[in-house]
Amino acid sequence: MTTATAPVAPAAPARPSRVALPGPARLLGLELRRNIMPWLLPLLAVLFWLVTYRPAMADPPFWDVRSGIVQSHTLLAFAPLLAGAAAWAGSREHRRGMADMVGMTALPRWAGQLAAWAATTCWAEAAYLAGVAVLYVVTAHQGAWGGPLLWPVAVGAAFVAASCALGFTAGALLPSRFTAPVAAFVMFLALAGGAFALQANVTYAQIWPLNVQGAFPGDAYGIFYPYFPDLPIAQLMFLAGLAAAALGGLGLPAAAGGRWLRGAAAAVTAAGLAAAGTGVVLAGTARLEEHGIVIPALHDAASDRPTPYTPVCGHTAIPICLQPAYRALLTDVTAALGPVLSQVAGLPGAPVRVTQVAVTSVHADPSNGIALGGPVIDGRPPVLYLPLSRVALPGEGSASAITENLRQQDGAWILSLVVGLPGHVGAGASVGGISVMPGLGPRHSAQVAVVDGLVRALDLAQPGPLRARIPHGTPPGWHQELAAAQRFAALPAAARHAWLMTHLAALRAGRISLSEIP
Amino acid sequence: MTTAGVGRPARRARQADPAPRRSTGYRLAGLRLARLYAASRRAATCLLVLAACAIALRTALHWLPRSGVYAEQIPLTIEAGAAAVIGVTTGSPFGDPERATGRWLPYLRLVAAVALAGAAFGALAAGSASQHLDGGTLALLRDLAGFTGLAFLTGAVLGGALAWIGPLGYLAITLPALAGHWTTPWLWPARPPHDRGAAICAGLVFAAGLAVVTVRGARAWFR
Repeated sequence: MTTATAPVAPAAPARPSRVALPGPARLLGLELRRNIMPWLLPLLAVLFWLVTYRPAMADPPFWDVRSGIVQSHTLLAFAPLLAGAAAWAGSREHRRGMADMVGMTALPRWAGQLAAWAATTCWAEAAYLAGVAVLYVVTAHQGAWGGPLLWPVAVGAAFVAASCALGFTAGALLPSRFTAPVAAFVMFLALAGGAFALQANVTYAQIWPLNVQGAFPGDAYGIFYPYFPDLPIAQLMFLAGLAAAALGGLGLPAAAGGRWLRGAAAAVTAAGLAAAGTGVVLAGTARLEEHGIVIPALHDAASDRPTPYTPVCGHTAIPICLQPAYRALLTDVTAALGPVLSQVAGLPGAPVRVTQVAVTSVHADPSNGIALGGPVIDGRPPVLYLPLSRVALPGEGSASAITENLRQQDGAWILSLVVGLPGHVGAGASVGGISVMPGLGPRHSAQVAVVDGLVRALDLAQPGPLRARIPHGTPPGWHQELAAAQRFAALPAAARHAWLMTHLAALRAGRISLSEIP
Repeated sequence: MTTAGVGRPARRARQADPAPRRSTGYRLAGLRLARLYAASRRAATCLLVLAACAIALRTALHWLPRSGVYAEQIPLTIEAGAAAVIGVTTGSPFGDPERATGRWLPYLRLVAAVALAGAAFGALAAGSASQHLDGGTLALLRDLAGFTGLAFLTGAVLGGALAWIGPLGYLAITLPALAGHWTTPWLWPARPPHDRGAAICAGLVFAAGLAVVTVRGARAWFR
């Protein structure tokens, strides 16, 4: 029997064919299956747990605090590894000795490389976004006030794509066994260099992708006012531009494709560089404002409208009202400031209500520092605006530590505001627990003595002689101030209150002498 | 080129030459074998990168503050980079044919690994000479040894070309640990230079990595 005479086998039933995907989707599917990234997912998961999830869970459930960690901590760990993995993927054709073979296929080489980059990026984005989703779901489950902040996540996702693009391009253009480790290493160094430039107050360094609202404390933005998207928008422009420039650069060599394709690649590269440069220039115009970093060209006035909320108020002589996210702190704040507020309640010019605010004033300090102002009395009727972002977050630190901190810092500060001590009392030398500006002169002696007496009477700070902590020299007449303060502290609370009721206006005007203090 | 034919000149020398020339032939063959091994692992490029790391360390130490987070993090990053590069050199371009024919391979691996690790330490110590390195030379030795051991272990598991994942992944964990003051000795870079537990952990990791990479070499699971 020959094959010609052999009976024809019955045709096998046709297997249901898979849905025919278009060429690019099929190529992407192949690249997704043959990518190194799935093998790195366990490592990325462990890194996310150690570097992001654990520190985030150690902080109280505030969206702004946890979103900041998502952008800064996660990407510091992920970006270098992703750059290295992408460099490994980019150098694949060279590693397998297939560069010439792939160059002869019908598909332009640039398109094939873009598919490999897209697959690597898809896996990286999936890992990053899955981690963020877990963290956000847990945060929501813990009852965080407000809603999740998405701008830091967007910046993070863009940085993931840019890291992959930069690494992939390095791997494709400089293929070597050293390219992947050097790409990861350079990414680490670049991130460290950016942080260093930011600390050195280089204005353009605000663009650094791990920078979340500059030096603002995590709870000083995004609660009372919307999260300012100015800096994230500039960072997105920068990162998208970097990614586009890197990927466009892949299409520039002669082997990448035809003339038109290389022209398009050149255009993409130029556009990417322009976008990245624009982002850097915009970041250079950033300035620190009370509720975040503002870039004038990108700022939306709608962001300046406060986020509405119904405050939670305590029952003290002067009601203390907090933002609902800080509800857990109300007891501590009341315990700390209640005695102070009882002492000043009803006095002319004393506040009728205490309202929590994010910050009262802010200015930049050297080394990427920030100085936040203390409480302020303002308006008619007078309201005491109390910032708590310097103190602690609910669930952070012990209640006694928070109470003590508030008593020492804000209690003395409020008293000095009520008696009309000038300037921002709180900076400079410390006097009996009250911090006093160096500009205080002899005409403020009575005010200083009254505040010091109240501090002693209310036990807001460690007792000590007036101005004992002033390091250099003691002003003339300090012992009279001390004596007056001790006299005033020894009075019964009702007598102090009655005297203040009568003499507060004169005391504020500087018309009371030390000898007139009872 | 493979290392399989490396022994031939020595055999010819043994047959043709009397005893005094025999040792010279062995020595030449050994040197040639070592040179070929180093060339196949790109040891020269590795040394160049290590020199670049030393220059980077010196430049960084010149600009960095003497204390603080950056004074710890940036030198540590450079040490991890140096270890990653050493780990990458463990990869063989020949694979199984080399394993089958190279009976001197474990010795070559051991000598190359120790030599490159020593060169890295020498280069970084020279780079930090007369500058303030946080933790000093002792911490440099400990941290570099630990990172290099991790690179060897990763190379043995994932392949030489991916050996960088170990030290750089570990670095990513270590950076927040520096700020968080973790106390486990397994995060040795976050411990003081004279911490015995940290030194033992780093030494164990280096010894384990060196042993594994000497005996097994770096298998290339991923190509």
